[in-house]
Amino acid sequence: MRSDRHILLTLFPLYSVIVGLFLSGLMMLFLGQNPLVVYRDILLFAFRDIYNIADIFAKAVPLIFTGLAFGFAYRASLFNIGAQGQFYMGCLASVSCSLYFSFLPKVLLLSICLLSSLIIGGLWGSLIGYAKARFNANEFLLSLMSTYVAIAIMNFLIRGPLIEAKGEYPQTDVIAQSAWIPLLIPHTRMHAGLILALLVAAAAYFILWKTALGFKIRAVGMNRDAARFAGIDERKIFVSVFFISGAFAGLAGFTEVNGIQHMLVQGFNPMIGTEGIGIAILGNAHPLGIVLSALLFGALKVGGALAVQVSNISSSFLGIMEGCVMLSVIISYFIRQRIMTVLEKKRLQEESKVKIL
Amino acid sequence: MIIEGLLARSIQMSTPLIIGALAEVLVERTGVMNIAIEGIFLLGAWAGFVGTYFTGSHLIGLIAAIATGTLVGSCYGYITVYLKQHQIVTGTAINILAAGLALYFYRVLFGVPLLPLTVEPLARLNIPLLSSIPVIGEILFRQNVLTYLSIALIFMIYWLLFKTKIGLVIRSTGANPEAVDAAGINVDSVRFKAVLCSSALCGLAGAFYSIGFLGLFTEDIIGGRGWIAFAICFLGNWNPIGAAVGGLIFGIADATSTVIQTSGFKLIPNEFVIAIPYILTIIATISRKEFRVPEYLGVPYIKEGRR
Amino acid sequence: MSTEDRDIVVEMTGITKYFPGVLALDKVNLRIKKGEVLALLGENGAGKSTLMRILYGMYRPDEGQIRVNGRIVNIESPRDAMKLGIGMIHQHFTLVPVHSVVENVILGAITDPRGSFSIEKTAKEIKKLGDTYGLEVDPFAMVNQLPVEMQQRVEILKALYRGANVLIMDEPTAVLTPQSTEMLFNFIRDFRKAGNSVIFISHKLNEVLEIADRIVVLRSGRVVGEIPREKATEQELARMMVGHELGEIKLKAENNTSGKKEPILCIENLKVRGNLGHLAVDALNLEIFAGEIHGIAGVSGNGQDELTEALYGLRPVSEGNIFLNGTPLTKGKTRNIIDLGVGYIPADRHKEGLVLDMSVEENLVLKGFDLSPFSRKGILQEGSIRQYATQVIESYAIKTPTPDTPVRYLSGGNQQKVVIAREIAVARFLLIAVQPTRGLDIGSTEYVHQILLKARNEGRGVLLISTELSEILSLSDRISVIYRGRILKTIDRQDVDMDEIGLLMMGVTGRQ
Repeated sequence: MRSDRHILLTLFPLYSVIVGLFLSGLMMLFLGQNPLVVYRDILLFAFRDIYNIADIFAKAVPLIFTGLAFGFAYRASLFNIGAQGQFYMGCLASVSCSLYFSFLPKVLLLSICLLSSLIIGGLWGSLIGYAKARFNANEFLLSLMSTYVAIAIMNFLIRGPLIEAKGEYPQTDVIAQSAWIPLLIPHTRMHAGLILALLVAAAAYFILWKTALGFKIRAVGMNRDAARFAGIDERKIFVSVFFISGAFAGLAGFTEVNGIQHMLVQGFNPMIGTEGIGIAILGNAHPLGIVLSALLFGALKVGGALAVQVSNISSSFLGIMEGCVMLSVIISYFIRQRIMTVLEKKRLQEESKVKIL
Repeated sequence: MIIEGLLARSIQMSTPLIIGALAEVLVERTGVMNIAIEGIFLLGAWAGFVGTYFTGSHLIGLIAAIATGTLVGSCYGYITVYLKQHQIVTGTAINILAAGLALYFYRVLFGVPLLPLTVEPLARLNIPLLSSIPVIGEILFRQNVLTYLSIALIFMIYWLLFKTKIGLVIRSTGANPEAVDAAGINVDSVRFKAVLCSSALCGLAGAFYSIGFLGLFTEDIIGGRGWIAFAICFLGNWNPIGAAVGGLIFGIADATSTVIQTSGFKLIPNEFVIAIPYILTIIATISRKEFRVPEYLGVPYIKEGRR
Repeated sequence: MSTEDRDIVVEMTGITKYFPGVLALDKVNLRIKKGEVLALLGENGAGKSTLMRILYGMYRPDEGQIRVNGRIVNIESPRDAMKLGIGMIHQHFTLVPVHSVVENVILGAITDPRGSFSIEKTAKEIKKLGDTYGLEVDPFAMVNQLPVEMQQRVEILKALYRGANVLIMDEPTAVLTPQSTEMLFNFIRDFRKAGNSVIFISHKLNEVLEIADRIVVLRSGRVVGEIPREKATEQELARMMVGHELGEIKLKAENNTSGKKEPILCIENLKVRGNLGHLAVDALNLEIFAGEIHGIAGVSGNGQDELTEALYGLRPVSEGNIFLNGTPLTKGKTRNIIDLGVGYIPADRHKEGLVLDMSVEENLVLKGFDLSPFSRKGILQEGSIRQYATQVIESYAIKTPTPDTPVRYLSGGNQQKVVIAREIAVARFLLIAVQPTRGLDIGSTEYVHQILLKARNEGRGVLLISTELSEILSLSDRISVIYRGRILKTIDRQDVDMDEIGLLMMGVTGRQ
């Protein structure tokens, strides 16, 4: 009885995606476009050639990281809305190392950049965890505000000490070749950061379900009172969760700066944090779900960016598609709960009828 | 002169913050957080601009903003109150959707113009007699109609919450929804209506930025100020007077940072001056230890076995 | 005038109700007459509250109908019930703690168009009602500052203010001392004399026999008996409630006077602050011996919660000392206290004892998962955990499909078994048990009692806190009475005198 419920219900996220796309399709109709044509174009363009397919993975990499950032914290019932800021801090750390340590051999240089983005992102995040542990502050508000402060820091540094030699635009110089993450497929944008992202996702899974720390995190997330009674120090969990979460977001800084942009431009990738939240919701805060959702959104972006050029839909429509999918995921949770309740009630009525007879 | 100008500007900038914070107080007293606040501010700004641009009437713009806020609020309210889904998750989804919708429909209507399109912002309404009072007159009585409305709202919401039957029900719903249920009142209905009212006001607050002050619309126009209004509700201890005081403080911070920027005063780097309101929020969030949080804030009301 | 002749004011016929997981009521019929006190008797989970909530409009029945004063009515909400003159005093008060008495009464009557919003008028009305029925209370007091029996008065006044003439009372004496109970009964008698009816829900035989005119017994959602008070005996009622004869409250274990008693827990001059800043535990002294069950009797709210929380490191200690086997516990963190061999069965197993969405095996290792053999170098050893869990499930006969099943799907009794199994394993020296049988049926309650006795016989000290005096009396070797944060007296079981305990629970020391 439980197994058939399982199959139907695990496919729910898939249904929600379809419904979400359907809803945005309706909106397209309303605007005089043919949704079928648009979606067909998106699919065709996304998979048109190796370059585009590789680009799907390239676009998915930072989403995996920011999705993991929100999802990991969510497992502890904590809300890290500051992934965007932690991402920027990671960018700053990585680009600084790339610029100042460019004389080092490649492997060493990349390792330093990786570690610095991880640590700086983690430390920036752990400030929030510490504030919550020490002052019982509201982490939702804190993490939200911390992004704006991170933006201020980034803008200051980019226009100041880190500014390009020419001094014309608010951006850094291009980093040295030795700081570029090697490509997995030549002549595309798919770089080895993908492997890092997948490893980190696996690590997130391992931590949460196979370690004592993860056990504590999940216990605190599911029932904080029972966790306290069991002797789990929730304040330590707040700090460690926000460190790990921030570290994940910081790593996105490494991959984007050293793998794609090869420099740091003011205001780049401004939605990556918020999109990460959407990815995490769609992926049910589970590393595997997050990876799959990131790939889906990557495909939408790649195909969408090109489809936009041939059709009349503006590129900002992608944001609408993402939002629609997210909302339909939320509604699908509700529908799933309802279905289970109704099934239970039916089963009981059957059972009691049999008893009476 | 400078101080008067600064204070006048502060009152101006605090207007949307006060309206938003009051709206949030109203809804959080019933136990629901309006997480969609930032998105509603944005769509309110958009609707206000679009309404005013095409009709030339500020009134139409404001009505459009209120209507849009109410519409978005009804979606948020339905999903969180009736479908009992998680408030933060739902609100975030709506904020993402709102950002996409606002930008998209702006582009659809106006394309990507070289220079942003503008409208005349709301005119100042000088209150006869009172505006002639030296100093105070300049600061308080030469503002636009939304500012006067925000001041009136402070008293109205206070009176509503503490001097009426409805107010008692609202406060009781957040403190102990079971008591309200046992009294025969539908808890979900109270909450949903509160979300609608709150969202209508937030739409209005958002419109301040586009048609009340700047006279244009950009995707960054709200820039996190919806969240500051959200924070002010917390920091003001869920009390309309506290919200007013908080709104004023942040209005001063906002005005001060603008003045510092434009005056060329270079003691603190520009970038950090912009960040002053946010840093202030962080400090305030950390230092308030004793909150009188409505007991059931954020908890969907689930009746056992109902129907 | 015999009960037969009086009018029937409420009649419920064929009431059936389903909840997820259970058939709560099965074609129940009930009649309530004017001017009578009807007792609804039954075990926890028999369906008494559910039936009355249907009458009060909080639930809808899946089948059946209700008549009030002869007319068929559709009670869709408490508003309808109140209009018909039906009021309900809930087990968990539906009061807003941060509001005043007047505000709560106004809220209770808010759907009545005749009700006024004037604070002064309502306060006067409250005083009047209070005087008429002996329910005096300060209208402007904040509800969370009132002691429990006063809060109950507010609940009653709310209903009376609405003009209730049928009053449903759901386990009203659960939170009262014997003396307050008597005052409540006086009110019920006055109320009945005025021609009103009371439906008295209880599982306490002696109280039912004292106050009721007629008794209806429910078991597993069905009416199994209806009997006027004159014809009822404790034996008969118990038999109907449970399905078989209950022995008297026997002492469940032989007297354990043999052997030297080592003190295992010493509490000296303990002071602990409560949530409102007051001293909830006020210079408390207590000694628990190894190999004894030490029961703490007292009305809830006299510092028991703060005491046990302080013992377990969940609440800071202001002054005083706690020693376990000589080791000071006073500044202890919960983790250290667990490692020192103290177990804790909490009052609310869903909130404090179990993580409902975790599996049975995860809950069983909730206090030991980061130690060997369940963890090595921080990595969970799933094999060892599974092995341990399988063993425990078998030895405690925990009914679960697999060790992997989320504990949420187990019955209340089996959930409590998981908690107890875990805590016994942790409690090498001391076991703190708070309301360990709350909400359990007779079979599970019996099982828990046997486990507590076994723990004692194996040499542990057991600190038992319960509001069920009968439970304390049947299990404890020694009994201490707590009142306003202090132990008034410690009594050996054989020296127990019911009157003395009742008085002590009220704070009266020494005979008068």
